[in-house]
Amino acid sequence: MSALLNIDNLQAGIDGTPILNGLSLSIQPGEVHAIMGPNGSGKSTLSYVLSGKDGYEVSGGDMMFEGQSLADMAPEERAIAGLFLAFQYPLEIPGVTNMTFLKTSLNAILRGRGEDEMDAASFLRLAREKSRALGMNDEMLKRQLNVGFSGGEKKRNEILQMAMLEPKLAILDETDSGLDIDALKTVAEGLNALRAPDRGMLVITHYQRLLDFIKPDVVHVMAAGRIVKSGGPELALELEKSGYAEYVGETVNA
Amino acid sequence: MLDAQSYFDRISGDLSGDVKARAVALAAAEAAGLPTRRQEAWHYTDVARLLSKATHDTLHNIDFAPLNPLMAVFDNGRLLAAPQASGVAVSPFHHDGATADNAVLNYNAALAQDGLTAEISGDLAQPLIVTTQGDAPVHLHHKITLAPQAKAVLVDNHMSRDYTNARFDIALGAGAELTLIRVQQAGHQIGTSEIMLAEGAQIKTVALVTGGALARHEANVAFTARGAHAELHSAVLGRGENHADFTYLIDHQAADTSSNTSAYNVLDAAARGVFQGKIIVRKDAQHVDAQMQTRAMMLSEGAEMDAKPELEIYADDVACAHGSAIGELDKDALFFLRSRGLGEASARYLLVAGFIEQVLAHIDNDAMADALRALVAQKIAAQFSVQGDA
Ligand SMILES: Nc1ncnc2c1ncn2[C@@H]1O[C@H](COP(=O)(O)OP(=O)(O)OP(=O)(O)O)[C@@H](O)[C@H]1O
Ligand SMILES: [Mg+2]
Repeated sequence: MSALLNIDNLQAGIDGTPILNGLSLSIQPGEVHAIMGPNGSGKSTLSYVLSGKDGYEVSGGDMMFEGQSLADMAPEERAIAGLFLAFQYPLEIPGVTNMTFLKTSLNAILRGRGEDEMDAASFLRLAREKSRALGMNDEMLKRQLNVGFSGGEKKRNEILQMAMLEPKLAILDETDSGLDIDALKTVAEGLNALRAPDRGMLVITHYQRLLDFIKPDVVHVMAAGRIVKSGGPELALELEKSGYAEYVGETVNA
Repeated sequence: MLDAQSYFDRISGDLSGDVKARAVALAAAEAAGLPTRRQEAWHYTDVARLLSKATHDTLHNIDFAPLNPLMAVFDNGRLLAAPQASGVAVSPFHHDGATADNAVLNYNAALAQDGLTAEISGDLAQPLIVTTQGDAPVHLHHKITLAPQAKAVLVDNHMSRDYTNARFDIALGAGAELTLIRVQQAGHQIGTSEIMLAEGAQIKTVALVTGGALARHEANVAFTARGAHAELHSAVLGRGENHADFTYLIDHQAADTSSNTSAYNVLDAAARGVFQGKIIVRKDAQHVDAQMQTRAMMLSEGAEMDAKPELEIYADDVACAHGSAIGELDKDALFFLRSRGLGEASARYLLVAGFIEQVLAHIDNDAMADALRALVAQKIAAQFSVQGDA
């Protein structure tokens, strides 16, 4: 059986600047992996390269999703295949309501999978149920996508999209940043609800906090565009205490 | 363009009013000629060149039926049947023949065949739709008056394939409220609206241009007494060689008046958008609040947007501002939507529809807004060859 995600010696950059320098990582179905690492180490870049954003040049290595190479797939094909990225900085789309967007997205994915689109009534029921579970009121569904949303509301909205689309692999780029304690719990519940033997998650975070709620199977340290150490959940606790100094080769001035 | 003199000679037998006065107006118009780019107000719109261009845009029927509207249909320049409802007093078209200080209005004075003259009182429940249709050149002169405290929705539904010179004189009495919706899908039009606002009167215009080789929409708004307010919003969805020009003179003559103007242009292929907005705040017109915003989404290198906001302020205690943002389709937004499963065409569709929606959202009546949304959806779907889900 193939890994859910297998990244092997991935090298990628933008405008001729290398950012990912031989990154390897493998996620089995059912696993939650966390990536921690200093600012600028390439975590968001990895999430963009995996989801197919324009402008990044992949110069070496492989990214295999359920045995299929991601490299030549359009972003929407990756989404249809079951990949989902919760953005570190969610975008605002003026003039498009949350509801219209969710419906367009869900139906595009169902269509892409050769399944029937969802009818309006079932969609509405589903959207309400999922948004309530995340502590969002119906009013937020009627608003323009993320326009005027607070930072925390935008993050919650990313999780709502994830809950609606039920991806096989969710990449969460600092979804916990900017959330208050209660929101963090709600979001973690949303994530845990999606844990399943055939799904996986790649959680990018700077804080141990989120990992208290969704216990990762593996924690990776990323520095200078590669994974420099991997371990169990205890690694996150260690990092919280001692920082990244030993991985980036800097000395800490006391 | 037509040869105005021989056209006049041909139709003058059918024209009402003082034929001599019309001849005087025509002589004045012909002496000046149609505007050229040498005139400041026409710098970006080359009338002669645009009139020589054919227009191939499809005319879609806008479904106003759910609104149960009052209809005033001008077919090749003639009103088919006067709308009848309590609260609307329609008078026969009366040609006054007065000459004006510009050729466009003088041609109109000379050649106006018909027009809707209506006085509205009370709260008019049904929207009044003025449709201009046909395939012949027409000159129309409408005069719409709202009595004090009257409320109405007026639609200027332009469905002609040929040349139209349309003049709207709109006068709002004290406390009156008018929503004016305008749509142009095709043809060549030079439209002039002279709007007069009395104390506390409010007008909101939402204009949508989805095509046409020439769509010149000029509005001159006079705020004559305190408390008057105007909202002037426009959306342009241009492709091919469409040319859409919104030119406003926003004249705050009285204190405590306010205006809010926005122009949203989506321009593809070799389409061109023009926005000229001049705000004047007269001496002693204190506490005026005037805001103006232009935004353009450029979908092709061959498209062009010319935005020229102007402020002329003679009072000292005012809040006036204008802003302009012209850019391409947001690549990050496009990626975000594609990462959520939308194909590139659907993602572009949604971003363009969302851009235009920011103008349509100003329409308070949902059924009216939906009628225009449906039109926009058809136009964008045709443009991007996608079926919209929006
Ligand atoms: N478009 C770009 N052009 C040039 N350099 C870029 C571009 N995008 C990212 N970089 C650089 O790549 C490096 C990695 O950035 P990335 O956003 O992936 O870091 P990160 O690990 O997510 O950081 P953070 O923890 O702050 O979110 C940084 O040095 C950044 O400046
Ligand atoms: Mg980042």
